Amino acid sequence: MDSPKYISVFFDDEDPLREAVRKLLESKETIIDVMTPFPVHGIDKLLSIKRSRIPIGGFIFGILGATLAFGFMTWVFTVSYPLIIGGKPFFAVPSFIPITFEMTVLFSGLAMAAAFFVRSKLKPDIRFNPVEERITDNMFVILVDTGNGNTTPQKIRSILSGIKTLEIRE
Amino acid sequence: MFQSPLRNPLIKGKKSYQDVTSQLLDPMVNKAGKLWYMGITLSGGAMMFGLFMIFWTIWQGIGTWGENRTVGWALEITTFVWWIGIGHAGTFISAILLLFRQRWRNSINRSAEAMTLIAVACAALFPLIHLGRPLLTFFIFPYPNTRLLWVNFNSPLVWDVFAISTYFTISLIFWYVGLIPDIATLRDKLTKGIKKSVYNFLSFSWKGSARDWHRHEITSIMLAAIATPLVLSVHSIVSMDFATSILPGWHTTIFPPYFVAGAIFSGFAMVLTLLIITRKALGLEDFITIEHVESMNKILIATGSIVGLAYITEIFMSWYSGVEYEHYALMNRVTGPYWWAYWIMVICNVGSAQILWIKKLRTNLWFTFFLSIIINIGMWFERFVIIVTSLHRDFLTSSWTMYKPTIVEYGLLIGTLGIFFTAFLLFIRIFPVISIFEVKSILKTEGAYSANKELNHG
Amino acid sequence: MEEQFIFRKQYRNILIVLMVVAFLVALTAVFAFRPGASRIWANILLNNQFFLGIALGAAFFIAVNRVAMSGWHTIIQRLPEAMTSFIPVAFILMLLIFFGMNSIYHWSHYEGYDEVLEGKKAWLNIPFFFTRIVLYFTGWIAFTWMMRKNSESLMISSDLKYHNRRKIFAGLYLVFFAITVSASSWDWIMSLDPHWYSTIFGWYVLISMFVTSLAFIIILAWFLKRAGYLTQLRDDHVHDLAILLFAFSIFWSYEWYAEYFLIWYGHLPEETTYYITRLNEYKAIFYLNIGINFIVPFFGLIRVRSKRNLNWVAMVATVVIIGHWIDYWLMIMPGAAGGDSAIGLLEISMTILYAGLFIFVLFRSLARGLLIIKNDPLLDESLSYES
Repeated sequence: MDSPKYISVFFDDEDPLREAVRKLLESKETIIDVMTPFPVHGIDKLLSIKRSRIPIGGFIFGILGATLAFGFMTWVFTVSYPLIIGGKPFFAVPSFIPITFEMTVLFSGLAMAAAFFVRSKLKPDIRFNPVEERITDNMFVILVDTGNGNTTPQKIRSILSGIKTLEIRE
Repeated sequence: MFQSPLRNPLIKGKKSYQDVTSQLLDPMVNKAGKLWYMGITLSGGAMMFGLFMIFWTIWQGIGTWGENRTVGWALEITTFVWWIGIGHAGTFISAILLLFRQRWRNSINRSAEAMTLIAVACAALFPLIHLGRPLLTFFIFPYPNTRLLWVNFNSPLVWDVFAISTYFTISLIFWYVGLIPDIATLRDKLTKGIKKSVYNFLSFSWKGSARDWHRHEITSIMLAAIATPLVLSVHSIVSMDFATSILPGWHTTIFPPYFVAGAIFSGFAMVLTLLIITRKALGLEDFITIEHVESMNKILIATGSIVGLAYITEIFMSWYSGVEYEHYALMNRVTGPYWWAYWIMVICNVGSAQILWIKKLRTNLWFTFFLSIIINIGMWFERFVIIVTSLHRDFLTSSWTMYKPTIVEYGLLIGTLGIFFTAFLLFIRIFPVISIFEVKSILKTEGAYSANKELNHG
Repeated sequence: MEEQFIFRKQYRNILIVLMVVAFLVALTAVFAFRPGASRIWANILLNNQFFLGIALGAAFFIAVNRVAMSGWHTIIQRLPEAMTSFIPVAFILMLLIFFGMNSIYHWSHYEGYDEVLEGKKAWLNIPFFFTRIVLYFTGWIAFTWMMRKNSESLMISSDLKYHNRRKIFAGLYLVFFAITVSASSWDWIMSLDPHWYSTIFGWYVLISMFVTSLAFIIILAWFLKRAGYLTQLRDDHVHDLAILLFAFSIFWSYEWYAEYFLIWYGHLPEETTYYITRLNEYKAIFYLNIGINFIVPFFGLIRVRSKRNLNWVAMVATVVIIGHWIDYWLMIMPGAAGGDSAIGLLEISMTILYAGLFIFVLFRSLARGLLIIKNDPLLDESLSYES
C-alpha cells in the first residue's frame, strides 16, 4: 500500500490553528499547506511566505501602459496626422494626461489580476474537487508532509496535545 | 489588535462561521420569495419599456428626443452622468474604505461593487444610443483605418471612452477577484447538479490555501490602490466634458473635485436605498447594522457638505468674476424658467445632507431610506440644471430656446432604472450579497462575542 | 505613559538665537539690497499664510480623525493640537498687513477707473476685509482653544463626556473650516491678482494646507522620537501617516492639474493671465513646484518598506514642506510683488524667523500636559495598532 502523501489536521478556529502551526514548525515538521475559509492574520509570517511580487509587476506594467499611451498619442498628433484642433498645440501634453493615466491603471490592473491567477494556478475547471469541502465554510486545515512515513498521526497528536484539534487523518 | 468597547459590534448575534456561511448563502440555495418576484416583475416591466424606447430611438432617429439646436445635450447626458456618479460609491466602498481600514465596509462592499458595475453599464448605454448611427460606434476607437483618420485625443469625449471602459474593466476584475473565494464557498455548499458545475467552473479551482490567500490579499489591496485614483479620474474626466468648454456655468475649475464629491454623495444614497431594502428582505440585519447605515450617513454629510460648499463657491465666484455672462448664468438658474429645477436641487442636496447632523435621524432606517431617494432626485436635477440652464441661454440672445423632454427620453430614464433594479435583483440570487470571507475575517475582532469562542472556553 | 514633553532651556535658547539671527539677516538684506515694500510685505503674507496653514491643517487632521472615530492617531494627537496654538500669533501678524495693504493688494489703491475692480468693491474693501479677518480668526481660535482645553480635561478626568464632546467640536470645526479657508484664500491670496478668479482655488489652498500639516506632523514625530519621546510610536503608525502624505500629495497634484488644465484648455485671456506670468517669468520654479510636490512623495513613498521607515518618511516630508512653501510663493509673490519677486536672502531669513516662532509657540503648548493623553478611550486601540 502506498504511504499517504499528507496528514490533515482540522481545526474549527483560527487561534488553535496558529498555535498548531507554531508547534509543528518548532518540531521541524514540514507543512505543505494551510487552508482556511478566510485569510488568517499571522499565518503568512509563521509560514515565512515571502511578500508577493505582484505589486512590482503592476508597477512595471503601469509604466508600460503610460509609455505606450503617451507615445502613441504623441506620434498620432505630431507625426502621423497633425491637426490644429481648437488652437491647441500639436504636442498637447496636458490633453494627453487623462488617457495616459487611464491606460496606466488599465495595464496595471490587468497585469496584476493576470499575475494573481497565473501564480496561484487558478483556472476554471469544472471537475475540480476540493480537499475538504468545509474549508470554505468553517474548517481550518493544516496539511503536514508525511515524509515517507516518518510523521504519523500519533506523532502529530502528541505534538499538538493541549491544542483543540477536531480531527487528524491521513 | 484591540478594539475599543466604545465601538458597536459590526456583526450582531453570536454567530459561528457556519452561521455566517449558511445565512449568506441562503438566497442562492433556497427559492425566492414573493417579494422578489414582485420586484423583478416591476423592474422588468420598466426595463422592457426602456428597451423599446432604445429601439425606437435607433429606428426613428434622434429626432424622437427633445433636443434642439441650442440645447444639444439634455436628459440623456444628465442620466449618463447620474449613473456614472452612482457607480462611484461602489468603488469608494470597495477600494477607498479598504485603504482607510474601515472594517465596516466588509458587509456592504460586495453589493456596492455589483451596483457599480450595473450603474456603469446603464451609463454606457447612453453614449451608444445618442450617436446618430450607433452601428458605427467603433469609430471612436483609434485603429488604423481606410479613412486615414485618428480619433481626436484632445477631446474630453474620447477621454470618456477610455475612462469609462477602464473603470468598468477594473471594477469588474476587482469585484470578481473578491468574489472567487465566495463562489468556492457556494460550490462546496451545493451537492450536485448544473448549479454546482457552473459555480465550480466560476470558482477557478479556489482551495483556500494560505499562499493563495496571501496573493489574494495583496492583489485586492493593489487593485484598491489603483482603483482609488481611477474613481477620482473617471468622474473628473466626465466633468471635463463640461469644464473644458467656455460656457458660463460650465467652464469653472472646481468641476473635477465637485463632481467627484457629488458622485460619491449620490452613490452612497443609492447604496443605502438598495441595502435598506435588501437587508430587510434577506434578513441580513445582523450583518448590515444600524452602525453601517449611520457610517454611510456620515459620509453623506461630508460629501453633501462639499457639494454645498461648491454651490456657495460658484455663487460667490459668478459675482466676483465681474463677467456679465457668469452673472446671468447664475441669475438664470436661480430665477429663470428652470428655477424650479434649481431649487429642487438645492433643497434636496444641501438640505438633506445638513439634516443628517441630527443623530436621531441618522440612525432611523425609514428616514434614511426616504432621504436617500430624495438625494438621488436632487443629484439628477443638479446635472439637469448644470447642463440645460447653461445651454439654453448662453451668449447670443437670439439663440435662446426652451427644452422639453419627450416621452422617449423619459422612457430611457425609466428603462435604465428598470435595467438597474432587474440586474441587482438577479445578482442577489446568483452571488452572495455580502462578502462571506471578509465578514468571517472580522467576526472575531469586530463581531459580537462569537459562538465559537464560547465553545473553546467550553 | 506619563510622558511629558519638556521644553528644555537648550531648545529655548537655540530657537531664540535662531530667531534673532534670522531677524538680523532679514534686516541686513533689506538695507543691503533695498527690496521694494511690496516684496517685504509679500514675504510677511507668504509666511503668515504658510505657517497659519500648517496650524489650520493640523486642526483639520484632528477633526477629520475624530469625526471618523479613528483609533490609530490617538497616540500622536497632541502633536497637531499643539501646532494649532500658533493661530492667535498668526492673527496678530495678519492684522499687521493693514500697514502694507497698498503695497501688495492693488485693489486697495488703484488709480483711475477699473471696471472689474469697481464691480468687486463690495467685497474687496478694507473695512470688510479686516472684519472678515477678525471673523475667521475668532472662529479658528475659539474652536482650537476648545479642542485643546477639552484635551486638558481628558488628561485629568476619564469622564466620557469629554470624549463625546470632541466629535461635536470636530464636526462644527470642519464646516467652519471649509467655508472660512475657502473665503480667506479668496481674500488673502486670490485677490492679489484681482482681475483673476478660479472656483477651485479655495479647495486647492485647503489641500496645500493639509499636506503641509501632515508633513510637519511627521517631522515633529520624528524629532520627538529621536529625542526619546513617543517610545510607543511604531512602524504601524508611521505607515498610516505616510499613506496619508502619499495619498494627499497625489490629491494635491490632481487639484493642481485640474486648475491648470482647465484654464489651459479654455484659453480665456481673463483666466490665463495667471499662468502666463508664472510660466514666462518663473518657469523653473513653476516646474519645480509640480516636480517636488508630486514626483518626490509619489516615488519616494510608493513602496511599503519606505512607508514604514520614519527616517525616510521624515526626509520626504521635509522635501514636501519646502515644495509647498514654493507652491505658496508661486501663488503669492508674482501677484503681490510683481517683477520684484525672487527667492533670496530676505525670503529665506524671514521663513526661518517665522519657523522659529512657530516651533517656539508649538513647544510651549506641547509642554503643557501629558504628551500622550492617557484617559483617551481610544488610546488602547492606538497602542496595539497593527497595520
